[in-house]
This record gives sequence, structure tokens and C-alpha cells, in this order.
Amino acid sequence: MLAYTVRRILVMIPTLLVISAIVFTIIQLPPGDYLTSYIAELQSQGESVDSAKIEFLRKEYGFDRPLVEQYAVWLVGLVQGDLGYSFEHSLPVAEVVGDRVYLTMLVAFATILFTWVVSFPIGIYSATRQYSWGDYGLTFLGFLGLATPNFLLALVLLYLANVYFGTSVGGLMDPQYIGAPWSWAKLGSVLAHLWIPVVVIGTSGTAGMIRRLRANLLDELQKQYVVTARAKGLPPGRLLLKYPLRMALNPFIADIGNLLPQIISGSAIVSVVLSLPTTGPMLLSALRSQDMYLAGSFLMFVAGLTVIGVFLSDLALAALDPRIRLEGKALK
Amino acid sequence: MMGRRRDMAREAQGAVLALAAALCLAGADRAGAKTIRVHPVETPSLQARVERGELPPVIARLPAEPAIVEPDTPGRHGGELRLLMSRSKDIRYMVVNGYARLVGYDTDYTLVPDLLRAVEVEDGRVFTFRLRAGHRWSDGHPFTAEDFRYYWEDVAGNDLLSPTGPPVDLRVGGKPPRFEVIDAHTVRYSWDKPNPFFLPALAGARPLFVYRPAHYLKQFHARYADAETLARLVEESGQRNWAALHNRLDNQYKNDNPDLPSLQPWVVATRPPSERFLFERNPFYHRVDLNGRQLPYIDRVVMNIAGARVIPIKTGAGETDLQARGIDFSDYTFLRQSGKRNGFTTELWETAKGAHMALYPNLNHTDPVWRELLRDVRFRRALSLAINRHEINQVVYFGLALEGNNTVLPYSPLHSPRLQTAWATFDLARANALLDEIGLTARNGRGLRLLPDGRPLEIIVETAGESSEQTDVLELVHDGWLAAGIKLFSKPSQREVLRNRVFAGSTMMSVWSGLENGLATADHSPEELAPTSQQQLHWPKWGQHFETRGKAGEPPDMATAQRLLALNRAWRAARSAEERTAIWREMLEIQAENVFTIGLIAAVPQPVVIDDALRNVPRKAVYNWDPGAQFGIYRPDIFWLADDRRRAGY
Amino acid sequence: MSAPDGKSAAAPLEHWVSPAPFDPGAVETLTAEQERYYMAPVWLVMWWKLKRHRLAVISGAVLLAMYLSILVSEVLAPYDLHSRNTDFIYAPPQQIHLFHEGEFVGPFVYGFAYMLNMDTLKREYAENPTDPQPIRFFCLGDDYEFWGLIPGRFHLICPAEGGTLFLLGTDRLGRDMLSRIIYGTRISLTVGLIGITVSFILGIAIGGAAGYYGGRVDDVAMRLIEIIRSFPELPLWMALSAILPVTWSPLVVYFGITIILGLIDWTGLARAVRSKLLALREEDFCTAATLMGASPRRIIGAHLLPNFLSHLIASATLSVPTMILGETALSFLGLGLRPPITSWGVLLSEAQNINVVALYPWLMLPVVPVILLVLAFNFLGDGLRDAADPYK
Repeated sequence: MLAYTVRRILVMIPTLLVISAIVFTIIQLPPGDYLTSYIAELQSQGESVDSAKIEFLRKEYGFDRPLVEQYAVWLVGLVQGDLGYSFEHSLPVAEVVGDRVYLTMLVAFATILFTWVVSFPIGIYSATRQYSWGDYGLTFLGFLGLATPNFLLALVLLYLANVYFGTSVGGLMDPQYIGAPWSWAKLGSVLAHLWIPVVVIGTSGTAGMIRRLRANLLDELQKQYVVTARAKGLPPGRLLLKYPLRMALNPFIADIGNLLPQIISGSAIVSVVLSLPTTGPMLLSALRSQDMYLAGSFLMFVAGLTVIGVFLSDLALAALDPRIRLEGKALK
Repeated sequence: MMGRRRDMAREAQGAVLALAAALCLAGADRAGAKTIRVHPVETPSLQARVERGELPPVIARLPAEPAIVEPDTPGRHGGELRLLMSRSKDIRYMVVNGYARLVGYDTDYTLVPDLLRAVEVEDGRVFTFRLRAGHRWSDGHPFTAEDFRYYWEDVAGNDLLSPTGPPVDLRVGGKPPRFEVIDAHTVRYSWDKPNPFFLPALAGARPLFVYRPAHYLKQFHARYADAETLARLVEESGQRNWAALHNRLDNQYKNDNPDLPSLQPWVVATRPPSERFLFERNPFYHRVDLNGRQLPYIDRVVMNIAGARVIPIKTGAGETDLQARGIDFSDYTFLRQSGKRNGFTTELWETAKGAHMALYPNLNHTDPVWRELLRDVRFRRALSLAINRHEINQVVYFGLALEGNNTVLPYSPLHSPRLQTAWATFDLARANALLDEIGLTARNGRGLRLLPDGRPLEIIVETAGESSEQTDVLELVHDGWLAAGIKLFSKPSQREVLRNRVFAGSTMMSVWSGLENGLATADHSPEELAPTSQQQLHWPKWGQHFETRGKAGEPPDMATAQRLLALNRAWRAARSAEERTAIWREMLEIQAENVFTIGLIAAVPQPVVIDDALRNVPRKAVYNWDPGAQFGIYRPDIFWLADDRRRAGY
Repeated sequence: MSAPDGKSAAAPLEHWVSPAPFDPGAVETLTAEQERYYMAPVWLVMWWKLKRHRLAVISGAVLLAMYLSILVSEVLAPYDLHSRNTDFIYAPPQQIHLFHEGEFVGPFVYGFAYMLNMDTLKREYAENPTDPQPIRFFCLGDDYEFWGLIPGRFHLICPAEGGTLFLLGTDRLGRDMLSRIIYGTRISLTVGLIGITVSFILGIAIGGAAGYYGGRVDDVAMRLIEIIRSFPELPLWMALSAILPVTWSPLVVYFGITIILGLIDWTGLARAVRSKLLALREEDFCTAATLMGASPRRIIGAHLLPNFLSHLIASATLSVPTMILGETALSFLGLGLRPPITSWGVLLSEAQNINVVALYPWLMLPVVPVILLVLAFNFLGDGLRDAADPYK
């Protein structure tokens, strides 16, 4: 067990290194750098640009250095915990990202909760009453959420919420509560805004979860021990919940590690449409303007979280299932 | 802090005693002709602070000679104004819209002194600025010639802070001016040759700042600050050196430092990053109305940051009081309908670009056959004649826009109908005749004309891919050109990629907006009409040649372009208004005849949303960046809320 | 049987032997039904099991119809893709009526015209109940070029001569939405296929190698998968789209985008293939094949993979919707297909503004075929997967 853990930790380091190289490449891939996109933006507004000043800035920010050197500088800073400086906001990256991370997590957890709460009953019902009209109907509903493009659904709900409920448009709370201390009114406002992204993002996830739960549960329900238990007279409810459901949950624990990048990606588009102060829109605009440190450090942060998440869930599974520990032996 | 407040209070009491006899202020009206007397009235929202002694009373807060303003409807103090912007960088627009300038444009686009009491110009090259006595920064410290000297010697003249020297607008023929401090309230800039750019630069939307809050910035300057304290400040801030720290904090345009004293009507009170910025009134603002109320009327401006796509929806929901950014003509219907429900009106203001959309044939295109063709003035004329601008106007803009060339607009004194319609009517017969005349008579099986080397005449127009409006208009242009035997392909791309391609000469034709300043008078620089900048998408390499003084790019090899450059040079040296007007007219004529850019439509209306309670906002006006500063020239400090509850803060 | 001393025996024991010829099936007689079942090839059994899943069958039929419609889009659409009508901008959908003033006339629409509301600058359309415009079938209408090659004018359904037929309304240039959606089918339906192929090849190759060889190959593959999966998709999309040169024609850009989508999507399949192979390679038949001298490629290709071919097929059908939704998302971000190309994603991103939602909601109708397609693929995939192991 210890050997497995140590081995995995040692492997994580080169993984993160490779990820950092990929992240850097991805950001630098589009032609130009932050200054060119800044100039283009100024000019499209009609403001004139002092080319001498731009050259000066280019030297200041180090854009005239070779790419490898820029990468090294950034990497060294990262290792020391210095996330860098955002050109777009003229602030350290940590400050820009700051509160947004908490809000992103809030939305993410609310979404995951919603997904589980919706998909579990439907999945269980689907598995136990296979091929019935209820099965068809509920899976249809679940899949409807998957099939509708998120951005359109978000926009429609945004508009309807404003027209019918008077909810202020976009954001996670009414504007007057931004920066104000927490109160019941503020909480109510947050909930009134939160349901739209949660429903839009959550409904896409429910379909997949329903399907997986259904498939796993069906597999489990056909096993011998279930037949034995039924023959022995265990009540059907207890029969379902006590053993097969727990086994069917196995893959979900494995999946949690991968949930994070999905939620961040999946919600970036919805967050842009709904103008949520989360990390998605920030990342999008940073990528567009090639704000290297902001985009790069944030992506590394996300990737790092995922790698650690996968590691932890693998660890959990290895503790549960000895087969996994012994996996990967070469073919004789 | 407390000590300073006590000092200010004492100083204020002294001023009050000194003026006890004449409890009124005298100021000159705009023409400077007669003296008006006003009796200042205390601002209700500042009353508490004055009573506590934190602020001097209003009579001491205003300069001895304030700017006296007569708005359409006299306003009352109170309330907050809500605005929506799409990025947190947009707090700079409070400096644009606050529009407190040394000299500014008024609603007729004439330059008048604003922060300054008076400006004297001699020969177009010697500028004497007279400040207002008793004028203070937003923190109460006096605004004097020292602030100008600090800028000139210690900022623009300091190698670390300004490695490239004084800004371009301060240099004539490469030479900086001679700067003199005449007395505590008078400074003078003198050049050897006329500097026609100086005053317009000071009045710009993004103005040239030739002054700084010296008392605040000195603590970050190596020459004035204690070395040890400065070193500590530098380290705390995480900047590289004191120059970087100074530059970081000295950002009057960026407006992101709440501690930086300001002369604008509202001062930023929230430190970035934030989704919601507050701007509080400047207690020492220099303008006052005839009733003695110190401007601005509105106590606070609240700027909410929302994504660009969401702004039209939020505006329709009534979440803003004054909005023009982020909404465009296609949102008009929605806003009109929502306005009835949510208590605002949507007016249509004019935009002032020479063209809202124009095609830019790239005269520096690398393909030799195409370059030859694009340089042939008959080809460009034919392309322009084959476009049905009327249909574009009807389909996309309900006929409310102005069809015609990329040239000055009817407001401009330089305008003439001929400039607008030369080669810009829809005349397919003439277009076909011109194309035949050039020799493009061969056609392929589909009816497309062929180039001399046999390739079909397919023009690829590259766009920045940001607006579906451009794609729509190009669809309409496509049909017109097809009737003339030319096929149009529109290729969306990314903004920078497009620009790079244009600069390199790889594009055949691109789409962009037209002249920045369609309201030009003879006093404005005509450089947009000559190849002076790489950013001009129709001759980027010639423009680059001019910008870099011959180090990069190519010199213009067309007689007409050379003539335009010569005229541009002549304008700079011109000394009389007649000379400048004549130069402008000739340049505009050359542009119209040669169709260097193919303008499509201009004067597209800009919707402006105005809350029902907001007063003194003009119903019909011009919305432009420079000159105009968005709402700037209409002076938002005189806007006020006619609703009692809102003024009381509900 | 003879007696032990071989002398005269007693009478033989009574026994009975059936004289009938030997019939091996006598022990367990199969009915004709059962015989058919056991003798049927695998794919037939799968088909029978699939038929049980009614929703999957319906979905399959719908998909088939959609894919076949691609071949004849020009004929099905009442208007040509680019034809526009400046008199009918933002026209709402026209209703089909059957009875005009009490008489049965056949399907027709009423002509209509707009009045410009000068206050809101809105075009307000009103039907003209005295102007019935019968719909023509199998008629000659707008010209088009069939697949860009053969000019033609034959349509399945067209408006009356000089009339209009906007069954789903028009957009801001006066183009018929129904025709645009039909033409958009071509691109939207095929964008998934190429992406799937790419992701399949990658997934099977890498997953198969990892699962079969194990050890270091597996480690490297797993790390690679982990790296790709730990990335938010957004930056990958943006970076890869930035690589595509602008000079390429729109069609080539479109292929490039589908390949990009495929390059990002293969990891799920690879993981599934790998875990399956890890289990299967320990099976006896695999050992037998190895001992008989089969090369690893043959073992993977001919023995292991067919065992879960069904799972692969199900995976494929379940991945296509992801591709299609990915394409719509890319169009929304401005990275994918853009006008003037017409696909459902482009139509939806053009509909992505408040004016459409509040004033012209019929422009959001392209979402209906997207939903139908995604649902159809999902149900079909579910059905295939259920049917995949017919002997379960």
C-alpha cells in the first residue's frame, strides 16, 4: 500500500510538469501576446497608441525574451507560490482569482448536489421498473436536459426569471448586496439567482448519471446474492438499498476526481451567458487577451486540483479493491 | 489624518471669516464677459461632515472663481446614478464621462476652458494657462502651478518614469516646449512652431494630463521621499522599484487608485477588483450652478460590472439609469418595449464616425495581379457603384442611417453632398462599363469575370468575426457585386490575426469602421486622410513607413497618396484658418474621387437609455468618442434625478 | 450375456430396445422457435433484443430518416439557402390552413404584409384573410445547385407563385428558417462522424495497447489520459482553433474542427477499452491463442475486440451527441463554424441574444432538431448497449 502511494506521488510530479508545459504552449499558441491584443483593442476603440511606449512595455513585461525563458520564469514563480501578475487587471493573480474561486465552488457543489438528488431516484426507478412507460418517461426527461444546448437554455431562463419572478438579470445576487455583509436578504437573493445555473448545468449531468446508475444497478440486481436474499425473504426496499446500491456507487467515487474540470468547463459557457462572477468568464477573457499569468496559473491550479483529486480517489479505490493495487503488471 | 483634517477645518474657518463680508462668489460666465454672483448652498449629503469639521463649508470648497453653469433645468442634489459596464477596466469611463478638462469641448465642439479659468494662445504656439484661485483637489489640497511643474520636471522629465520622454502631443518637430511657471496660478508652454494638437489633446476623451497631484505623488518619488520610507513602500507593494510603484499609483485615466486625488466630479471609492464600483462626489469640484448648488447634483455613481452579452438584458430590465455602451441599434425594439414597463425611455443619438462600416481594399496586397487591379481607381469606383446602399439601409437600419462614402458627416462645416455621393450611388450599368473598360471582359461559365491571368474575380473580404451585422451587410454587398460579375467571399477571423494579415499585405480587402472623427473641423488634424498610420487598413505599409520615419514599410508610390501626405504636412505648418480649411477640402476631394475606402453607411443611430427620473440629458445628441467623450460634452455633472424618493436615497 | 460356465443358458433377461433410428435431439426436443433462436447468428439475436426496446427502434428510424434527408436537402427545402426577401424580414411562422371561408381548399397559407411600428421600429405582420396562397407540391421553385454541381429547380414543397411559405418564420435578412435548418442538417449531422472516427481510432489504439501490454506502456498511457482529462476543455478548444490557418477554405476549417473535437474526446473510450482488455487478456482463449503463436495485433483485433464490439458501437452512438453539442458550443464561442456557413450551431449562436428570446422566438427553433438528434442517438445507443450482450 505504501509503495503504491509513494509510486503514485512520484509520478504526479512529472505529470504536473508536462501539464505546465502544455498550459504554457496553449496560451502562447495564438499569434501575438498580451500587448498585441491590447493594442488591437485600443485601436478598435479609436484610441491612439504610442508605439514607443508599447516597446517599452514589451521590455518591461519580458515579452521580448525567448519563450523558453518566459516559461522558466513563470515555472520558478509557481513553485515558490507566486502566481504572477495579471496585465489585464493590473493586479496580482491571486487577488483577481480570489473570491471567484469560492463562488465557483459554491456553484459546483450546488450543481453536484442537484444532480445527485435528481438522478438517484430516477436511476433506481429506471432500473427496477425496466422498460415500463415510467422508465421511458423519466429517462426522456433526464435526457432532455442533456440534449438542450446550455447557453440557449440559460438565456431563456434568465429572461423568464426576470419577467416572471423579477429576479435581477445575471450575477449571483442583486447588485446592491455585492460587497455588503451577509444577511437573510442577501442569502435569499443568492438562492434566487443560483437556481438557474444549477438547473442548466445540473440537467446535463443528470442524464449521464441516471444511465450509469441504471446500468450498474441492473448488473448488480442480477447477481446471485440478490436472488438469495430475495429467496430468504428480505423486504424489497432493504434488499435494494443495503447491498446492490452500495456496490453500484463504486464508480461514482472514482468519478469525483474527474468532476472538477468538467464542472469548470461546462459552467464556463453558462457563466458567460449568465454573467456569473466565477472563474469561467475570467479564464475565457484571460485566454482571449493572452493574459499569460492569469490564464496559466489558474489552469495549473485547476489541473493540479484534478491530478490530486484523481490520486485521492484512486487511493480510496485501492484501499477498497485489492485488484486495483495489483493492476498493471506486464504481460508475461 | 486627523491632523490634516483639523488643519483643513482651521483653514476653512479662516477663509470663511475672510469672506464673511461677501457671502457670495463671483465668477465669469462662459463668454467671460460679465461677472455673475451666486450664493452657494450647502450640499445636503455633505452637511454632516461639514458640521463635524471634516470638510470646510461649501463657500470654501469652491474656488474663488468657480465655473458657473446654467443647465436647462436647474437641478437638486441627491441620489445615485446606476451604470453598467462590461469590464472592471471600464472604471476609466468615469474620467471620460466626468469630463473635467483643462480645456474641453462644449456641445458645439468649440474649445472652452473648464478647469482653467482662462487660456491665452499666441500665434498658435504659446499657450498661457490661468488657474482658478482657491481650486482644490478632491482631498482639499490646493491645485496650483506646482502640480504642472511636478509633471513637467519630475514625471515627463524623469528618465525612470518616462523613458520615452514627453508624450508625442507635446512635441512639435520632435522638440518639446519651453515650460514656465509664471506664478502660483499661471503656467506657460511655448513652442517655436504652431502646435495644433495641444488643445484638442487636452480636451480629448482620453486626455493628455499635463498635471499631477504633486502633494500625493511626491511620497513615491525618489527625489522627494525619504529613502528608507520609500524603500519600505516599494517592498510592501511588490513592485520592482520606486518608478514602477509611482507609475502604478499615478493613473489618472485608469482611475483604479481610490487614494489618488482627482479633479473629476466623482471620485472612485472602491478598490479593484470588484463587481461593483462606487464613485462619490468630489467635495471640491469647481463647477456651481446659478442657484449656488455645487455640482455634481448626483451624490454617487454606482457602476455594476456585467458581461457584455448581459448588458442589453439588464438594461431592458431597468437596472441602469443611463446607458449607451453595450447596447446597439439591433436592441432598440426590445428596449423600447421594455422601457414602457420598466420606467425608462430609449432615445436614438447619432454616431459620428465617417462610416459605420467601410470596405478597405488593401493597396499593399502581395499578389501582383490583384494589387494592380486594386490600385486601378476605376476598379474601386466600379466596386463602390455596384453596392446597393439603399437596400442595406432599409434592411438593417430601417432607413435611418446615412448612405454614402466614408467621409465627414453633414454636421461638419467641411461637408458637401458631393463628397458623400461621389461614386456611391447604385449604378450597375456604370459599374459594368468601368469593369469592361479596364479589360475584365472575359467571363467563366458562371458569369464571373476573369482576371487577366484567368482566375475568376473572387474577392475575399476578411472580417474580425465579431459582429453578425458585418456578415449581414456583406451578404447584401455580395448580391450587388454578383450582378457586376464579381464574387464576394466573407471570411471571419480574429481581430489580431486580421490586423497582422492586413499589415503583412496578405488580405485582399477587410471590413472596419470608417473615419474616427466625422465631425471634423478645419482645426482638427487631417491625418486620417493621409497614409500616416499602419492601422489604416487600406495602405498599412505606407502608413507604417510614415510612423517609423522610414525604418519599416514602404513609401507611397501613388501620386495621389503622396499628395495627401504633402497636404498633411502643410496643414501642420498652416497658420491661418483659411489655409487649413483649403487643405482639408482638397484632401476630402481626393479621397472622394479616388475611393480609397469604400464607405457603406454612416450615422447609424446609437440607442441611449435614459431613466424617466433623470433630467438634463439631451434627447437628441451625438454619441462619439473623440470629440465627444461619450456623454462628456453634455456634462453628466448637471444630470439630476427629479424623483424625491430617489434623491433621498431610496 | 452368456452364463459363466458357457453351457446352455437360461432365457435372456427381458429387455427392450427401440428399433427406431438414433435421434440425438430426442433427449431435449427443441421447438421450432427455440431452434431458430439457438441457430441464429449473433447479430440476429442482437436485433431481436433491440426490437424489444421500442424507443430505440423509433430513434433508429428517425436517425435514418435524418441522414437520408441530407442527400436531398435541396429538394426538401422550400427555398434556396441564400435566397432572401427584404419584404419579409423577421416574419413569424405562417400557419397552414385547410378551410378557406368554410370550403376545403387544401393546405394553404394566407398572404401577409407588415406595418412598421414607428415607435418601437418593429415590423408587425398581419395575415390577409382574403389572400389564400395554396401550397404547391412537387413543383418548380427557387433554383439551386444540387450538391453544388447540378442546377435544378425541383422542390418537394414550394410557396404559391408570387407568394410566401415561411413555415418557421424568417430571420433578419428575410431568409426562410425551415430551409436553413434543412440545409444545416448536412453539416451538423456529419460533423460528428469524422470526429467519432478520429476518437475511435485513437481510443482503441491507445486503450488497446495499454490494456494488452500493461506495465510501462499502460503507465504512460494512463498518465497521458489523466493529463488530457484534467484539462478544462475550453482552453484546449481555443488553442487548437487558433492553430487553424485563416487561409483555409471554410470546408477545410470545418474538418479541422471535427478532428479537434475528436482529439479531445478519445480518453473515455480508451479507459473503457483498457479496463476491459485488462480483464479479458487473462481469459483462457487468449492464453490459447498466444500459445498457438498469434501476434498481439491479431489477438487484440480478432479475439479480444469482437468481444465487446457491441460496447464500442454503443459508445460510438453515445459520443455523437457530444460532438454535436460540442460543435454548437464552439459556434457560440466564435471558435467553430461561423456564418456564412450554415449549421444548427451557427443558427443557434445567431439566436443567442435577448432580441430573439423576447421578440422573435421562432429563431430558436433549430434547437428542436438538435434535441431530437441527441435524444435519438442516446436512446439508440442505450438500446444497442442493452442488446449488445444478447446472451445475458
